[in-house]
Amino acid sequence: MTLIVSNASVTYESKDSPPVLALADASLTIPRQGFVVALGASGCGKTTLLNAMAGFLSLTAGSVTVDDVPVTGPGPDRGVVFQKDTLYPWLSVLDNVAFGLKLAGLDRPKREAKARELLALVGLEGFEKSATYQLSGGMRQRVSLARALATNPEILLMDEPLGALDSLTRETMQELIVDLWASTRKSIFFITHSIEEALFLGTEVVVMSPRPGRIIRRYTLDFVHRTVASRDAARVKSDPEFIALREEIRNLIHQTGAESDGRHLLARAG
Amino acid sequence: MVDISLLALAEGATPSAWSPRGLRAAVARRGIPITLISALGLLLAWTLATQFKLVAPLFLPSPFDVATQFYTVAVDGFSNATLAQHVGTSLFRILTAFVIATAIGVPLGLAMGLNRWVNGLFSAPIQLYWPVPPLAYLPLVIIWFGIGETAKIILLSLAMFAPIVISAQAGVRSVSQARVQAAQSLGATKAQIFRHVVLPNALPEILTGLRLGIGSGWATLVAAELVAATKGLGFMTLSAAQFLVTDVVFVGILTIAALATIFLTTLRLLERRLTPWKGQD
Ligand SMILES: Nc1ncnc2c1ncn2[C@@H]1O[C@H](COP(=O)(O)OP(=O)(O)O)[C@@H](O)[C@H]1O
Ligand SMILES: [Mg+2]
Repeated sequence: MTLIVSNASVTYESKDSPPVLALADASLTIPRQGFVVALGASGCGKTTLLNAMAGFLSLTAGSVTVDDVPVTGPGPDRGVVFQKDTLYPWLSVLDNVAFGLKLAGLDRPKREAKARELLALVGLEGFEKSATYQLSGGMRQRVSLARALATNPEILLMDEPLGALDSLTRETMQELIVDLWASTRKSIFFITHSIEEALFLGTEVVVMSPRPGRIIRRYTLDFVHRTVASRDAARVKSDPEFIALREEIRNLIHQTGAESDGRHLLARAG
Repeated sequence: MVDISLLALAEGATPSAWSPRGLRAAVARRGIPITLISALGLLLAWTLATQFKLVAPLFLPSPFDVATQFYTVAVDGFSNATLAQHVGTSLFRILTAFVIATAIGVPLGLAMGLNRWVNGLFSAPIQLYWPVPPLAYLPLVIIWFGIGETAKIILLSLAMFAPIVISAQAGVRSVSQARVQAAQSLGATKAQIFRHVVLPNALPEILTGLRLGIGSGWATLVAAELVAATKGLGFMTLSAAQFLVTDVVFVGILTIAALATIFLTTLRLLERRLTPWKGQD
């Protein structure tokens, strides 16, 4: 399954403020089994881009297609993991994961068997009956991941899923996501504002800049392949090539930040 | 239970246990609710005030008089009915009104939360009448529905209705867009989103609305039984007041307070039971 975004623009209109051009002429392809990462500071239009792919909003111009069929709304072929925690607190961990299968009409034994399998896959065996609000942030995102995988989508859209986690949990989760990507062979579109995370995860990284949100640079990478092969995340992240690219992108983002908004640079320097 | 905790307090009653710090420690250690202490303090003040004749019994009968009168009203009755009959009549009115207010209020509130036309149609009249005390529109209810049982139940229903509707509406509105989107991306239809996301999401607010509704129903009981009642706790209290039988007035007030507390506590327990996630996420 291939998802293609062509010349997509989104303008938010509102009654009492001027229209916001949140996404300007973005084009992007998520190939089969690709891992595409969108990198940029807050307000670059990353979430807007993801929402357009998920079908949560309609484009002002351009198109989103899945295997040449235009996207007109959300659907279980595109799983979403949200920036905000969107687990249902009235359901147990197991029922949250099984939720999509319940909607599809699967009977209880079948959907629970599948949900247990997925919980094991994300390392949450034994938490089936737990309440979601008793879990840590990292565990909750694991549940969200399992829930998104339950309907067996070919593509996963993830909006800063690790943004709220502490850095240690975050690294563990990055490795979990790499493992999942390698073992399930899903296509992934992943949003982050961490340069290191983008380089570590992506087979392709698109760098975005704000006002208006647009893609300013694309990189094709193989660090994630090296991680899968070597199973040594620390070595990949300390590779001189990795570090050099990290600095290059940092400079790039700072420059464009300075061009479009001087306060951005000051805020970052401070 | 009360006796046990009192005993426990008395057992540990070394002089220091009665110092403020000792008492606070005892409260923490024995788990004595602060509300119990405040209730006992009030009872003590009441007893002392009547014991030393600080207030005339006509204005403030002693706790002992009230207890005796409670027994008399329970056994012999007051105003042609026993206490149990008064309670039964009032309970019937309140529960009937509660069922009516819930059966109409919850679905209407849900519809208002879902649809802005329904909301536009109903929210203005509800917002307008809600703050008006039921006693103020009682004459209108009597003109429209007479002085029989119907008018009483309608007055109580109206008092309960507004908080129930508004809470159900707010419950629907409180659902986050992301939770809905999560369901959509898992393939949920509109009906499934309502059933599996909007409704459970609104449940804590709906239950809070029911509790507020019941509270406001009990607060309206005396007004509802003001005109042409022959039974009921509110009626009993009012007629006792007319004959200046102050201790029966106290019996009425305390019985209403006790019943209202039982209702509110039950609903609060139900909330905790059904929506344990409330305030946790
Ligand atoms: N619903 C909306 N209405 C108006 N403006 C919006 C809306 N959503 C986002 N924006 C604006 O669009 C820009 C891009 O937002 P977003 O896509 O959320 O960026 P990011 O995810 O990169 O932080 C921001 O300037 C934001 O304020
Ligand atoms: Mg965002």
